[in-house]
Amino acid sequence: MMKNTQLLTSLRYALFSVLVITVATASQVHAESIAITNATVYTVTEQGVLSQATVMVDDGKISAVYSKDDLPASLSADIIIDAKERILTPGFIASGNLLGLVEVGSVATTRDSADKKADVTFDASLAFNPKSTLIPYARKGGITTSLVMPYGGENVITGQSFVVNLSGSFDSVMSQQNAVIVSLGANKKGSRAIKLQTLSNQLEDAKKALVKAETAQAVDEKEDKTPSREAQVINALLSGDKPLIAYADRATDILALLSLKQRFNLNLVLAGASDAVLVSDEIANANVVVMMSAINNLPSSFDSLHNSLTNVAQLTKAGVKVIISNSGESYNINQLRFDAGIAVANGVAKTTALAAITANVADSFNLNTGRIAVGKNADIVLWSGDPFEISTKVDAMWINGQAMSLKSRQDALRDRYISATELPRAYTK
Amino acid sequence: MLKTFFSCKLSPDLTGHFVMRSFKCKKNTVTLLSAGLLSLGLTACLPTDKQDIKVVINKNPYPSTYQALPAKSTLLTNATLLTGTGERLNNTDIVLVNGKITQVGRGLSPEQATVIDMKGKWITPGLIDVHSHLGVYPNPQVESHSDGNEMTSPNTSEVWAEHSVWPQDPAFQTARAGGVTSLQILPGSANLFGGRGVTLKNVPSVTMQGMKFAGAPYGLKMACGENPKRVYGSRKELPSTRMGNVAGYRSAWLAATEYKRAWDKYDSDYSAGKNPPAPKRDLELDTLMGVLEGEILIHNHCYKAEEMAVMIDLGKEFNYYSGTFHHAIEGYKIADLLAANGNCAAMWPDWWGFKMEAFDMVEENVAIVDAVKNSCAVVHSDSATTIQRLNQEAAKVMYRANDNGFALKEEDAIKWITANAAKSLGINDKVGSLEVGKNADIVVWNMNPFSVYAQAEQVFIDGAKVYDRVDEKYQAQSDFLLGQQDNITRQSAIESVSASATKSASKE
Repeated sequence: MMKNTQLLTSLRYALFSVLVITVATASQVHAESIAITNATVYTVTEQGVLSQATVMVDDGKISAVYSKDDLPASLSADIIIDAKERILTPGFIASGNLLGLVEVGSVATTRDSADKKADVTFDASLAFNPKSTLIPYARKGGITTSLVMPYGGENVITGQSFVVNLSGSFDSVMSQQNAVIVSLGANKKGSRAIKLQTLSNQLEDAKKALVKAETAQAVDEKEDKTPSREAQVINALLSGDKPLIAYADRATDILALLSLKQRFNLNLVLAGASDAVLVSDEIANANVVVMMSAINNLPSSFDSLHNSLTNVAQLTKAGVKVIISNSGESYNINQLRFDAGIAVANGVAKTTALAAITANVADSFNLNTGRIAVGKNADIVLWSGDPFEISTKVDAMWINGQAMSLKSRQDALRDRYISATELPRAYTK
Repeated sequence: MLKTFFSCKLSPDLTGHFVMRSFKCKKNTVTLLSAGLLSLGLTACLPTDKQDIKVVINKNPYPSTYQALPAKSTLLTNATLLTGTGERLNNTDIVLVNGKITQVGRGLSPEQATVIDMKGKWITPGLIDVHSHLGVYPNPQVESHSDGNEMTSPNTSEVWAEHSVWPQDPAFQTARAGGVTSLQILPGSANLFGGRGVTLKNVPSVTMQGMKFAGAPYGLKMACGENPKRVYGSRKELPSTRMGNVAGYRSAWLAATEYKRAWDKYDSDYSAGKNPPAPKRDLELDTLMGVLEGEILIHNHCYKAEEMAVMIDLGKEFNYYSGTFHHAIEGYKIADLLAANGNCAAMWPDWWGFKMEAFDMVEENVAIVDAVKNSCAVVHSDSATTIQRLNQEAAKVMYRANDNGFALKEEDAIKWITANAAKSLGINDKVGSLEVGKNADIVVWNMNPFSVYAQAEQVFIDGAKVYDRVDEKYQAQSDFLLGQQDNITRQSAIESVSASATKSASKE
């Protein structure tokens, strides 16, 4: 089992190097060092909120976080920014969207999120478009990172997710095939039981095959027993290396998943989870993270009769770690911060809501972002006020220490139509 | 009975007309009239010449049966009022008596009114959504209840959304908790003419009629652009192009013009003492004729600047008011044109991208449309989710516009979801502002309603409390959810959570 995992990891690393690292060097050559001083820093670490603090960025990473009291006498940086006590947070991490895979929903040729042929090996990151117009717009909501979850195929296992930063550069993909996605619950045709049985059988068969392979290997070390691509992915689930994101709403499906987690030692993340409040203790005891909308409060199906604005609050109160995720596609993921604010208005502590769109996502998917702490990617946002408030805007954003533009195509259109001109608007650029 | 009688009197201003062939009317009149009314009936109805009884179209066959919930005279004191007329009144009182706003001012002390101190609270007119599908596309989203779009012909002016409304849609309750007191339920946008919309008061009711906003004009849903041409083009029917869309509208209005001419001729011939045969009734054309007569308001799903400009001219070609453009994503490109023609534009703050006609969104759209003199900018939802937060939808526009050179205030932005929406629906004489004489439809907010943390605490419709965030007595629940949810877990959880929410909100 261990051997296979290592093989997979190294393969993944190799692929990652070829596709990404080589391109990455181009944009990261001249990373300037930055000192952001006099900031109200929401670290999302045990340090909590630091007032009049200083954050140092070097070579794309956070190199120091100084509280007011342990600020050194002199700071050396290429750029020094006085935050004037404004709030600095980690960049927000969106999840459950199709960012970079779909440009215009109704234009089929701009959709790369689904394919009948997609199976457990589906790698939609190969289709990711960093030049999508959705990306600069999303940045305006403080989003620096996204866990993209394509629709994939039509089987129980629909495909795999991937992670990108929102820099808009060709080296945006941070992690390919980082989690397997399954979709459970109500069916238009047939029974939900079959989905659960299929998933369970697949895991069981893979486990048996592994045991068998180990025994066989002991007998004949020389024969090449490299598992199939599909089997390698399932094996990564069984080793707990790769998270399994499972869409499920009804409590019975959630409980069935918790039982599979226990049986196969899965690294399970629940998505949707409308009924989670009915089994919140079970979820908390199993140490399973729930990825859910903070604003879905309607009984949209018979699987989701318990949707409520208070669900995030109820779950966090029960000790469940929650990721707040946008519902719908990707056009308005910049509103993640408002969803977090709505969660706060309905009983969630502000720091908990902040973690639900930063550190909790990073922890669940092994991303080196989502906190303001030494060594983390310098994905940080300076806000004009309370980040969740509608009146607030992003004043500055850095991704891997690079300052980001906060202009989108929408800004260009607005400026064209509100500026004075004697010529037709088409001449205003 | 009485209505039957009056229909014979040809009173043009009465609402309860019956449609009948003359012989039938005579018969009914004689049969149904009580002795006391007979003499009156005879003078009005009996033909002095050889005229048959006049055929009159009943324009309100499914009349409102709405009655306000029980209400007490109420004095709300010391609140911040956003009036909907562009004013903000600090530390002000408002009095609700017999379903109306009777006083607005300081230091008021009406007799026998329940006094509630609203210090720190904000009061706005009840919110109005001009574009909703609650009840016709309800939750749960099951096929059995999917009744919002008669996608069987490009012109279905004969269908009325009110005949599809499921009053038990749980989303009516959640919208009320968000401060929505009136809303227009529209058919979907697959057709060039989708059918009639209906304006409802957001009160719990077993029947649609029990919610119906008496005196509100009907709307006629029209649709530009991608949807009709996609739906019918894929069936190899007209329209498959935008020019096909316009040809479809024009053909329909031509037919409606002729239909109206026939009825006008019938009326004038009859008035001249002749005995003309009545034109044959046509439900589709009845609706279109209602628009030509100015009684039904156009609500036109139309995203793009060039299409709205064509629709405005189309109205001029056939001599009707082109009404409100819904989802007017590109309203900002023709703000002057909209205002010059008296069109309202109902817009989202930021929905975009899902199709080509929604690609040119700007977050300041509403503000740009609003900035022109005589404009009518409206924020709408078209969503069972965002209808719960129209205040935040308006806030997004206001703040993004102010980030970019505008100087909008709360008292300006509130109009987009109150007074302007009322104007779009033709109910601004009754609701949409905190003015003496208006219906007492109001929302009490726990703080500035343009905050992400704001909650509607109390909602009144016609002076009666219909929602209270902390008093379960005023939290209606749909029949559908009753006995389905795990209420014990849920209720205790909500209580504990709302207690902590109040605590954390007060800290901010």
